[in-house]
Amino acid sequence: MTPSSNTYGILAEFKNPADLMDAAASVRDAGYTRFDVFSPFPIHGMDDAMGLKPSKLGWIVLIHGIIGLLGGIALQVWSMDIAYPVHISGKPYLNFPAFVPVTFALVILLSAFGTFFGLFFLSKLPKLHHPIFHSNHIERATDDGFFLCIESKDPLWDKNKTIDFLTSIGASTIEQIPEESP
Amino acid sequence: MKPDIESNLPTESLSFPEGRQLARIFLPAGMIALILTLSGIFFNAERFFYSWLTGFTFIASILLGALFFVMVQHVTRSSWSVVLRRIPETISYQLILLPVFFIPILFGMEYLYEWIRPERIATDELTQHKLPYLNFPFFILRNILYFIVWGFLGYKLYKNSIALDHSGDLSLDKKQRVLSAPGILLFALTVAFASFDWMMSMDSHWFSTMFGVYYFSMSFQAALALIVIITLFLIKKTAFSKIINQAHIHDLGALLFGFTVFYAYIAFSQFLLIYYANIPEETLWYYYRFEGSWIYLAYLFLIGRFVLPFILLLNKRAKSNHALLTGVSIWILFLNFLEMFWIIIPILHKGAISVHWLDVASFVGFLCLSIGFFFYLLAQNSLIPKKDPLLAESLKKH
Repeated sequence: MTPSSNTYGILAEFKNPADLMDAAASVRDAGYTRFDVFSPFPIHGMDDAMGLKPSKLGWIVLIHGIIGLLGGIALQVWSMDIAYPVHISGKPYLNFPAFVPVTFALVILLSAFGTFFGLFFLSKLPKLHHPIFHSNHIERATDDGFFLCIESKDPLWDKNKTIDFLTSIGASTIEQIPEESP
Repeated sequence: MKPDIESNLPTESLSFPEGRQLARIFLPAGMIALILTLSGIFFNAERFFYSWLTGFTFIASILLGALFFVMVQHVTRSSWSVVLRRIPETISYQLILLPVFFIPILFGMEYLYEWIRPERIATDELTQHKLPYLNFPFFILRNILYFIVWGFLGYKLYKNSIALDHSGDLSLDKKQRVLSAPGILLFALTVAFASFDWMMSMDSHWFSTMFGVYYFSMSFQAALALIVIITLFLIKKTAFSKIINQAHIHDLGALLFGFTVFYAYIAFSQFLLIYYANIPEETLWYYYRFEGSWIYLAYLFLIGRFVLPFILLLNKRAKSNHALLTGVSIWILFLNFLEMFWIIIPILHKGAISVHWLDVASFVGFLCLSIGFFFYLLAQNSLIPKKDPLLAESLKKH
């Protein structure tokens, strides 16, 4: 086993989503900040249990939406009124009601891009590898495993204490995850 | 490890007996205002019928929106809404009284609906073609049908829920679902046709296949606004605050936000199709409603009923901000009345907004009477469906 300085973190397994949620709350209350949980499905209320801050994603989407709104209006004002003014059934060139569907669609499109790529950006994706995959059990997080991992970067990190702590809050198995491939 | 949430909650005993005092204020106030409105028949009969129809369609829209809310919760077997379901249930129970307030309209048919005026029928070919549908006996028959369907659904859903409170008989819970599923289908058809009959047929030439959805979109947004107002009021006044948490409020806020967008989508779609096609008999309806100062109301709905609530409620935290939600909801409720006003009154007063004290009296009367009756009913029963099988899950919502 590699020395503790090269440990990525301690992975603890819990029996079910409720235990995992309680464990996350205990870890949060103990003052740990660098930890993450892994489960086969989203667990409602986990954000609060982990003490996560509200996501910044909404703001990214808002900015993209506003760009879509202004861009949509600008595109149509320029093309319909400045570049190619064409009479359409006696309506004014600046025909704002008719601009709404295109503007709306552009707001939706750019917001969707903002959400999709913003999520990639915030999750630091794409990523070719992550130390958590050195675990022997983590694959089960996509099946029936409920895991919590405290990272060694945490200010409160002390390997033995962390292991004892995770055992005390009811972890069924404990595993050290090395930073480098073993 | 986990605290027992239910043990220290007043789920068994929670009620709102103070509602009787509120009813004692609102019911007479509403009665007086409606009697004042009714007195209008003696000095300005025409205006009276228009004002009455405005108030009637306003209050009907809220009661119907609440009925839809209850049925959707049953059909989807939602757990989140169980704690606050008694509120829309009590609102929609009032549908059994709605036909009483429809009676005055029957006496003013000649004023309100041009398809019933003999001289109009004689000279207008298009109206003649519509006579198989637009005639007095069939109009009455249809309205009786609407009121039977709504009254039955509102009555049954409320009574079953109250009976479940007392007996705890879970077969009642199943009955609610069995009732709600076909209920939603009947609701969709009756509300659409009722809106055609009450409001769209005032101009016997005009038609819009979206009008039913338009009325529904207004009604559901307004009903959600009223549910928000009452929920937040009860949280302030009673131990309801221990039962309802921020997650419930956030969901209500999110629904209000969502159906604000839905309203805008429907109202604008109806306008855009007619505006773009530019067919005279279709555009005329909007022409009268954009003529002169009426256009300001149209802009007010665009800004006030969509843009403003949209921006205010966009943020996640705003959706559970009590003061903000109350303000936005009161505003939406008021605009719902104004929109009925904008749909109905331009037929009488072309070219300029005209506000008559009968409109105000009708608005105050219908609203106060409904709120008074609501609190009168609410005071008699538990504030929450205390034996509902999904209550425990609802309490744990986060």
